[in-house]
Amino acid sequence: MTLRRGGRPLLWLGLSTALVALAVAGIAIGTIALSPGAVWAALLGRGDATTITVVRDLRAPRVALAALVGAGLAMSGAALQGILRNPLAEPYLLGVSGGAAVGAVLAVVAGATSAGLVPLAAFVGAVAAVSVALLVARAVGGRADPRLLLMAGVVVGAFANAAIMIVLANAPADTLRNATWWMMGSVAGAEWSGVRWLALYIAAGGLLLVVRARDVDVLSLGEDSAAALGVRVEQSTRAVYLIAALVAAATVSAAGLVGFVGLMVPHLVRAAGVRSHRSLLAGSAIAGAGLVIGADLLARTLLPPAELPLGAVTALLGVPFFLARLRTLA
Amino acid sequence: MFVSRLALRLFVASSLALVACAGERTPVKQSSAVRVDDFGDSVEIAPAARIASLSPTTTELLFTIGAGARVVGRTSYDEWPAEAKRVPDLGPGIRPNVEAILAAHPDLVVLYAANANRDAARALRAAGVRTIGLKVDRIADFRRATALLGAVAGDSAGAQAVIDSVQGTLDRVRTATASLHHPRVAWQLWDTPLLVLGSGSYQHELVDIAGAENVYADDTKPNTQTSLEDLIRRDPDIILTDSSRAAAIRRSSRWRGVRAVREGHVLAVDDETSSRASVKLGMAAVRLARLLHPEANIR
Repeated sequence: MTLRRGGRPLLWLGLSTALVALAVAGIAIGTIALSPGAVWAALLGRGDATTITVVRDLRAPRVALAALVGAGLAMSGAALQGILRNPLAEPYLLGVSGGAAVGAVLAVVAGATSAGLVPLAAFVGAVAAVSVALLVARAVGGRADPRLLLMAGVVVGAFANAAIMIVLANAPADTLRNATWWMMGSVAGAEWSGVRWLALYIAAGGLLLVVRARDVDVLSLGEDSAAALGVRVEQSTRAVYLIAALVAAATVSAAGLVGFVGLMVPHLVRAAGVRSHRSLLAGSAIAGAGLVIGADLLARTLLPPAELPLGAVTALLGVPFFLARLRTLA
Repeated sequence: MFVSRLALRLFVASSLALVACAGERTPVKQSSAVRVDDFGDSVEIAPAARIASLSPTTTELLFTIGAGARVVGRTSYDEWPAEAKRVPDLGPGIRPNVEAILAAHPDLVVLYAANANRDAARALRAAGVRTIGLKVDRIADFRRATALLGAVAGDSAGAQAVIDSVQGTLDRVRTATASLHHPRVAWQLWDTPLLVLGSGSYQHELVDIAGAENVYADDTKPNTQTSLEDLIRRDPDIILTDSSRAAAIRRSSRWRGVRAVREGHVLAVDDETSSRASVKLGMAAVRLARLLHPEANIR
């Protein structure tokens, strides 16, 4: 097994530099033009009250939330692609997004106005969808067969989408707008309380995935090899699947549906030559964080003062890279 | 007091209607007139006995004119006046159920003139039912729609009285606030995404009449998406919003960057009167003016 991270110092340096640069840009750039000095002073709590609020309560939590959402989704995708041995596997394909959307939409339709209720409902919906997918796969196959898990997830997702359409078909315009906007993803409403909660969650989930990274390395070789190498295939697959799904569910509950990150980022990091899952998880976390920070920066600066849906911007940014990656695979 | 004023105006208006024969709103001409509705289609303006009114605004207007007895259908959202709730509910007003409408046997259907309703209008006309599309976004639209509904309800004088009553109140409020200091306001309509009032809606006109200046007046849409940073930059003196959002804004750490919020100038607009450009427009202007100018004695 090749787990020597030191082998690619340039890659790690490049990824980390890009992440830091994007985070700095995310805090420095916005509708209100601020000098670098004013931004720095505001970060330290000096300057006038408005600038301090803009930097510390509007931009900084936004950048932090974008980073966490990107990191969480990318790690989740990397782990799922590994255990399911399928390059198309990603949290949103597996019912996580569909389940979360059903939860969120039901909460919106039921008239949930309190800020905390929609994320909670989304999280419950995502967990329910993933549980159903796991139960279906288990009932049908009795083992953690990657194909079954994948298909069960897709079916649960399709069911969820149908449910959303039925619920929204007769919803009033206001509800429709709320639900649609939620499904397009956004970090515009970021507040530190939510960011802290998500940080804890993503850190714990990420750590658990990294701990299991060796199992994922072996599982990605195939079930038989994994079994021969002493991995408890079924138990490991299920555990990683569940952790990855929960991490994705947490990001969805915090920022709605930010598409494409979980699918694309692991492929890009692999394209840079990273093979072991421990490195892949770390690289995906950094690249995912940078991608979503950058996408959010574009989402709020391309058409000011209006904001573009974050999920659409991540996809638009990602598709060219992804196509290039497809060429190298073909 | 309001009722007596209405009665007075009704009297004045009906006497005027008897003598005034100039202009497009004279009852004689309207009874056989053809007009272009807000879909851009020609419709015959002749009295109707059974009206399906598929938007809350037109239902309100028909009942206020006194044509409530002719209304044979409404949407699920038409809840004012209370008698309107006794009219059969035909479902949604956008993409309505054409069969349910036809089952009510209307001889006139009034639809909200949204693009999503064009197919329904076409289907209803194909079924031989006269259909009018109305879009009531501005105060002028309210006047136009009321006059038109008066014509189809066979009571143009009643409609004119309603128009005059509302217009009279609006004029009175405008006069009362004209000499007052006009604070700069932003009216928040929605939180995710952040939507504020542009200048393309009756609410903008209400702000103007009530003696304030909309900081987003340069945007001609009814509402416009913006960001908190842009709001901070425009620096309004007052944030207007509805009662449920006002509390959330006062609590939020993100909104503290807005000077009006720091200074405690977040005001909850009266939702009941200001939610549509209809018969309560005058009342909405009075309440908004009192909210914006508590020191002035606005009646």
